[in-house]
Amino acid sequence: MEPHIASVFDRDLEAVQAMIMKMGGVVEAQILDSAQALESRDAELAEKVRVTDRVVDELEERVNAEAARLLALRQPTASDLRTVLAVMKIAASLERVGDYCKNMAKRSHVLANMPSINGSGMALRRMAKTVEGMMKDALDAYIKRDVELAQDVLSRDQDVDQMYNALFREFLTYMMEDPRNITPCMHLHFIAKNIERMGDHATTVAEQVIYLVTGNMPDEPRPKTESVMPADLGDGED
Amino acid sequence: MNDMRLVERDVDATDIKIKARNVQVYYGASHAIKDVDVDILDKTVTAFIGPSGCGKSTFLRCLNRMNDTIDIARIEGQILLDGEDIYDKRVDPVQLRAKVGMVFQKPNPFPKSIYDNVAYGPKIHGLTRSKAELDEVVEKSLRRAALWGEVKDRLDKPGTGLSGGQQQRLCIARAVATSPEVLLMDEPCSALDPIATAQVEELIDELKQNFSVVIVTHSMQQAARVSQRTAFFHLGNLVEYGETGQIFTNPSDPRTESYITGRIG
Repeated sequence: MEPHIASVFDRDLEAVQAMIMKMGGVVEAQILDSAQALESRDAELAEKVRVTDRVVDELEERVNAEAARLLALRQPTASDLRTVLAVMKIAASLERVGDYCKNMAKRSHVLANMPSINGSGMALRRMAKTVEGMMKDALDAYIKRDVELAQDVLSRDQDVDQMYNALFREFLTYMMEDPRNITPCMHLHFIAKNIERMGDHATTVAEQVIYLVTGNMPDEPRPKTESVMPADLGDGED
Repeated sequence: MNDMRLVERDVDATDIKIKARNVQVYYGASHAIKDVDVDILDKTVTAFIGPSGCGKSTFLRCLNRMNDTIDIARIEGQILLDGEDIYDKRVDPVQLRAKVGMVFQKPNPFPKSIYDNVAYGPKIHGLTRSKAELDEVVEKSLRRAALWGEVKDRLDKPGTGLSGGQQQRLCIARAVATSPEVLLMDEPCSALDPIATAQVEELIDELKQNFSVVIVTHSMQQAARVSQRTAFFHLGNLVEYGETGQIFTNPSDPRTESYITGRIG
């Protein structure tokens, strides 16, 4: 699309989009680092994740302040308006993902002093890796205004739900086998649930890309796994 | 989810007041309006937007045959007001303009008293039978134009002595005094300050209870604020016509998008 007659409008829009990309970069690293810290019981890395959350929070505030300024001073319309609305929602989603990573880092501190649950660290890291890939593609789709890529991200959320369901069953089994597993498994279950929620936020970002480009939210609700298992049981947040 | 303006849509009128078909306007050799089809709804504010020279004012002026006064202007096509062709030979343009009133860019009160400004139309069209009836029309019109409170004690003072915003509302009172069915407004706020603009916009919103209002404006924010339907003109074409909320959030034509987002002049 051609530039605005008022070039400062373009600069402002680009600045706020640059903040989103910066936020996205930090949050992607948070996802991988927090999962890595959990698996390798790396207290230092976990601490880094915890501290970095503040950066994400500050960036979200800046995005919101800049978006409010654009609304007040430029009265954006059409795709400009949708851009401003989308960056606010994307920033909110990224901020939530940052919070989940921080929570994961805190739990990995606790888990470091407990017996390890066989294979759980690796499974969670694999799940986190999948979610990070979704978030990366959702943000790429945002920058390229690529609806197809955004649709692809939406379709991948069911993989994450499946991983979560499998882990849920696994943790349940461990807890039934030995009550001493209950505390670590509860923590690990919350972590799995948090990663599953991160996947939902990645789909929110992808949905915003579709709204931004087409002016409409995606028609079909994203695919759900068949079974009435934990991811579907619903905490009403979906 | 796609209904951005549910409340407005609920009360939206669907009766067509003016139906224009294949309208062409030529100024000498230049083709100013190209094949415009549009349905203007009753009891609705319709905004015409577009860059300077796009034909929006020209088209507006077709709706009450103001272009008749321009020798080199030639109009083709059909414009129906309540199903009747306004360019039919039997239609008297003066009578037509009593039904289709107009408010101009610059307030242009007659150099007469406030009272006479408003009473002029009803008098020449013979709409009232007594002084008492005329008084009533003047008061009602000034009230409708939200000016009564400010001028009721000085109706005999010249209209030109009022402030710009008051003068424009006086012109609106003058336009509504003949009980028109359609009110055309050509940039009615461009000479007004923001407060007077807000008053006129509030007035437009009230007027739509009774009239079909068509407003030409250069201010896209104004079009967004006051209208329920927006028509975008470009180079003599009607590019896009639709619900105002949709036009400003998700226009379907790339030219509309470029114009309302400030990308083409």
